[in-house]
Amino acid sequence: MMVKQQAIGERKKGLPSFSLFFQNKNFYKGIGLLAVFLLFLLPVLRLVWLSFVNKSGLTLHYYQQVLQEAATWVTVQNTLIVVLGSTLLALALGVSFSWIVAYVEVSGKRAMQLFIFLPFIIPSYITTLAWTQFFSGSGPVAALLAMLPGNLEVPNLYSIGGIILLLGLSHYPLVYLFTVNVFRKIPRDLEEAAATSGLSKKQAFRKVVLPLALPGIASGGLIAFLSNLDNFGIPAFLGTPSNIRVLSTYIYEQVVGFGPEAFSRAAVLSVLLGVIALFGTLLQWFLLRRSRVTETARSDSEPRIFLKPAKRRVLEVSLWAFLLVTSVMPLMAMAALSLISAYGVPFTLENLSLKNYEHVFLIDAKPAAALANSLKLALVTMAICLILGTMLAYLRFKYPDWSTKTAELFITIPYALPGTVFALCMIFMWMEPVPGWNPGIYGTVLILFIAYTTRFLVLQIRGSHTAFLQIDPSMEEAARIAGARGWTKWRRILLPLLFPGILGGALLVFLMALTELTVSSLLWSSGSETVGVVIFSYEQAGYSTYSTAFSTILVLGILLGGALYMGLGKLWDRKVLKAK
Amino acid sequence: MIDVQDVSKKYGDFTALHTVDLKIKKGEFIAVLGPSGCGKTTLLKLLAGFMGPTEGSIAMDGMQVATAKKVVPPEKRNIGMVFQSFALWPHMSVADHVKFPLEYHPNRKKGSKAELESRVQEVLGLVGLETFAKRYPSELSGGQKQRVALARAIAPLPNLLLMDEPFSALDVELRMEMRKEIQKLHKETGASIVFVTHDQSEALAIADKIVVMNAGRIEQIAPPEVIYTRPETPFVASFVGKCNLVEGQWKTEGFVPDGDAKSVWPDLGVARSFKANGICPVRPEQLQLALAGNAGLQGQVSFVQYQGNEIHYTVEVDGTMWTVHEPVYAPRFHVGDAVSVSLKTAVLQERELTAVLK
Repeated sequence: MMVKQQAIGERKKGLPSFSLFFQNKNFYKGIGLLAVFLLFLLPVLRLVWLSFVNKSGLTLHYYQQVLQEAATWVTVQNTLIVVLGSTLLALALGVSFSWIVAYVEVSGKRAMQLFIFLPFIIPSYITTLAWTQFFSGSGPVAALLAMLPGNLEVPNLYSIGGIILLLGLSHYPLVYLFTVNVFRKIPRDLEEAAATSGLSKKQAFRKVVLPLALPGIASGGLIAFLSNLDNFGIPAFLGTPSNIRVLSTYIYEQVVGFGPEAFSRAAVLSVLLGVIALFGTLLQWFLLRRSRVTETARSDSEPRIFLKPAKRRVLEVSLWAFLLVTSVMPLMAMAALSLISAYGVPFTLENLSLKNYEHVFLIDAKPAAALANSLKLALVTMAICLILGTMLAYLRFKYPDWSTKTAELFITIPYALPGTVFALCMIFMWMEPVPGWNPGIYGTVLILFIAYTTRFLVLQIRGSHTAFLQIDPSMEEAARIAGARGWTKWRRILLPLLFPGILGGALLVFLMALTELTVSSLLWSSGSETVGVVIFSYEQAGYSTYSTAFSTILVLGILLGGALYMGLGKLWDRKVLKAK
Repeated sequence: MIDVQDVSKKYGDFTALHTVDLKIKKGEFIAVLGPSGCGKTTLLKLLAGFMGPTEGSIAMDGMQVATAKKVVPPEKRNIGMVFQSFALWPHMSVADHVKFPLEYHPNRKKGSKAELESRVQEVLGLVGLETFAKRYPSELSGGQKQRVALARAIAPLPNLLLMDEPFSALDVELRMEMRKEIQKLHKETGASIVFVTHDQSEALAIADKIVVMNAGRIEQIAPPEVIYTRPETPFVASFVGKCNLVEGQWKTEGFVPDGDAKSVWPDLGVARSFKANGICPVRPEQLQLALAGNAGLQGQVSFVQYQGNEIHYTVEVDGTMWTVHEPVYAPRFHVGDAVSVSLKTAVLQERELTAVLK
């Protein structure tokens, strides 16, 4: 460890006799940082700038106008209620699940994890679509309630409560992801020490486990908070029909409304949303700084709490019931709707048909074109991010100084911004990259390529960087001692070890780009529709059977891809790493 | 032949190595011994070529490999290395590990595929892993991993083998076994070995020559027995021999310790620097205890530690703590006992012993 730090120090300092070379290095650093600034930070600054100017110069006119409107404050209030409510729900679900999976002895934890992650890999607008079918007047929930005594009504999802429920269900996997390893890393002997000091299990939980897990819980909660703030699909699908607006959908309405001051008003609202998001990010950064202590501890996946068989049975059944009802049943309801001939007819054998699929893929040309568009976008974005992101991750790994840290911070911003805000930034940036010059990027598919790459690059950098960190430096050193140089070293030693981590990042980028809705809903143009845009427009036009058919195909594709990735991963572990 | 000349290594303001000079003869087994942070790993990394010196130069086989300006990278040096954590590649079998340097090492011999395979078998035989050729690192025990790491390092027959605390991840019994193994391999390959360790008994046991380092400087370079019996600096005396540094006066007839004018300890070849400072380094096993009032310095037993073959006493003499090792058959003392401390008479034999070494 000592040596590694020293080596880093050596790199930073450079050697006096290399002064020419050193200057050169600084030169490259400067160029690189400038490029990163122009591509990743400048668009955001231009958006902020635009909210302050009109034709005559600097002005606070738009702020005065927007902030004086009652609609703005209703929207902000809705946003806060929805975001706080859904964050609490996500926290409660995520922390409960992570604690149970980390601590309690229940069987089938691996399978459980898969189901917990399901809402995470399926885009939230498809989940919403599925839930609306699940809770629809002719859906399974209504049928079940009709069988029960009393006049029970199906809860209305098109409400603030519905939005909170779906946001919470979509984002609790994030909380789970952040907290499960925090729980696992709490050293068992700390609890044992508490027990020998005379604390009961409950007291130990309150006085030892909870304080240690708090940083993880807090950062998981803030990530959920940001995701809830950022989400566009759920409030757009559920809120728009019932006139409930949150900031992300309100900005969208401003932009597509095309008033004379639409962009400027949207910019003001974006700044408002950005300030809330930034506040959250800063808070999270601050909390993560303090949570470093637990990072060195070893992860312990063995259960620590053993229940009596009967209790354990009850717990397992209720966990699985929850997982199946929240993640699988709605998808089944959606698939069922896609198979019936017309909206509203009962789900019986004679009403079954593939008519909707026929319409979506053979009669209407748009879905197939959108699928081709999205696949193309996702593949190209993945390829660019894979190469660029891995290279940047290597630089970040090899030269962990201020320049690469700053670059990473800049590159994170487009991802941390709410999608609607980011889309606006892209419009302002690329409509006229240099004032007075319009190269015609906005309005073509090109802006989507640029936007996706800008937004998702950080995912690949993180994935690849983690992969680099996980290889012990001695792996590379041993290869060099054995005489392997340059490409041989990469081909035979480093890439095989890095592969799973890099591939994981690449697949995440692919998935995000394939099912993206928020950014493309503002940036698409005729001929460059994406999958998300087509499903959204079907839904807005009331063609629920078509949107469910298209979504069903998409979900099947994602599940197949996920299964393939997991299978490949297992095969890789067995064949290449020979892990048992 | 390796020649390290006036090599310094600085990290910013911190100097890890101060003008180090070291010559390693062909086939020599050198142990670099020192506490953590003494610069021994830095020296090893410089020899390997993972970094370059701030000042000075390193030559190998008559060719300059490192100066402040130019460094020949490890992949172009004729060396092998065994890492502390073994550094086995998880995706390669045991045979692949041995084959890898045979394919890429600068010292590799061009040969047919069959020759390559037979060389792999030969090396695996040398470390006793013939039957494990197809296994992967995750399927091996600690000792077997160590053997793979050794096999990979010696396969291309490098002139210099570097070992970075290679036994620190093994348990005690395996360590003893691997010491013999390395001595055997040293005989069979004839390579020079630089073996870094912080364990003085390991260094004494296996090396032809020991380089004792402290705070970035070389304290002493000598064969194990000389290092042990004739330390030249207080650091070597206490780090290797666990010596008590007794204060007193050096006279023509010998050393007179402070506090007992009647004792005269013979000169067993104490280095000049000690004499100049009025210090006599005495190892714990050179001292003996007797009932208070007998000849010698008077003190009181503070701690007693039973070791099986020996008893380790800590005795307070005039406010300083002395360590005395006595055989279990000698008369026993207990905490609080008043005792006298004197030099064993048998110590005089060492005079002849050290005369042979000179």
